[in-house]
Amino acid sequence: MPLAIGAAIYGLAFGLLAAQARFSVIQVGVMGASVFAGGSQIVVAQQMVAGAGAVAAVAAGLALNLRLMLVTASIRDVYAGRPWWQVALGAHLTADENWALMLAQSARGRNVGYWYLLGGGACLVVVWCIATVAGVAFARAIPEPKSLGMDFAFTAAFIAIARSLWTGRRDLAPWLVAVAAVAASIHLAGFAPSWALMVGGVAGAATAGMLHHD
Amino acid sequence: MTETWFVILALTVGTFAIRLSGIFVGQMIPQQGPLASGLRAVPGCLIISLVAVSLLSGGPNEWGAGLVALVVAVATRNLPITMASGIAAIWLLRHFG
Repeated sequence: MPLAIGAAIYGLAFGLLAAQARFSVIQVGVMGASVFAGGSQIVVAQQMVAGAGAVAAVAAGLALNLRLMLVTASIRDVYAGRPWWQVALGAHLTADENWALMLAQSARGRNVGYWYLLGGGACLVVVWCIATVAGVAFARAIPEPKSLGMDFAFTAAFIAIARSLWTGRRDLAPWLVAVAAVAASIHLAGFAPSWALMVGGVAGAATAGMLHHD
Repeated sequence: MTETWFVILALTVGTFAIRLSGIFVGQMIPQQGPLASGLRAVPGCLIISLVAVSLLSGGPNEWGAGLVALVVAVATRNLPITMASGIAAIWLLRHFG
């Protein structure tokens, strides 16, 4: 339940952001059900608002979602020996929240598996769609987003997401390199922001790879 | 409108492929070593780069509001509260700063 409430509030927040990217209510609803990865949806909406272009927006969103490959890989036994449609459905409905919940339950010795994961994912996707659609419908009623400071909502959202991704001091060097690479790309090389973003992400990840291969 | 649908479709297909590939090529992804560390670091580096891009394109108002949002994010670890504080801070700075 707390996870569903969390997803609902996060969904409302995404709806507000999607409205700035001029997504329609139907588009937000379809996107919530079909993509079902909140962080990447926020990144894509921001890139569209910033005028980065469709290809750059998708590239940034997918780069963020590479993480999900590690998530599904870590529980691949759960899908083993199931018919293809159950594998496909289970994979699609695997998100950070129900994945973490399942691991926490099984760490406590409970016998949880595929259907526990699927049930959690199904709840999340329904809550996510309703909340994002409610958010975008509400936000479209706000006349002047910029004068209310709504344009800064993306930056604040990214700061909050960064905080949740911070795992400790080992992240410091990669993150500093990423920021420095972004600054250099924009101010020295004159790159467009969407390219500077990719340079920062790759430079930071490469730094982490070189420093922390344990 | 059409561009938005294209973006949604591409993100849908790509994200589903990423989720599935974890299941099918999971054993081929190294669990240790430079590639694994690098891959794990991608989301954080990408998000902090997004923060950098948007703060670099702003001015003192954005930097001040960013600092407020950072303090709130560290204290609460909560997305909606951080967003609300950031929006409130930028509004105050733009109108009274």
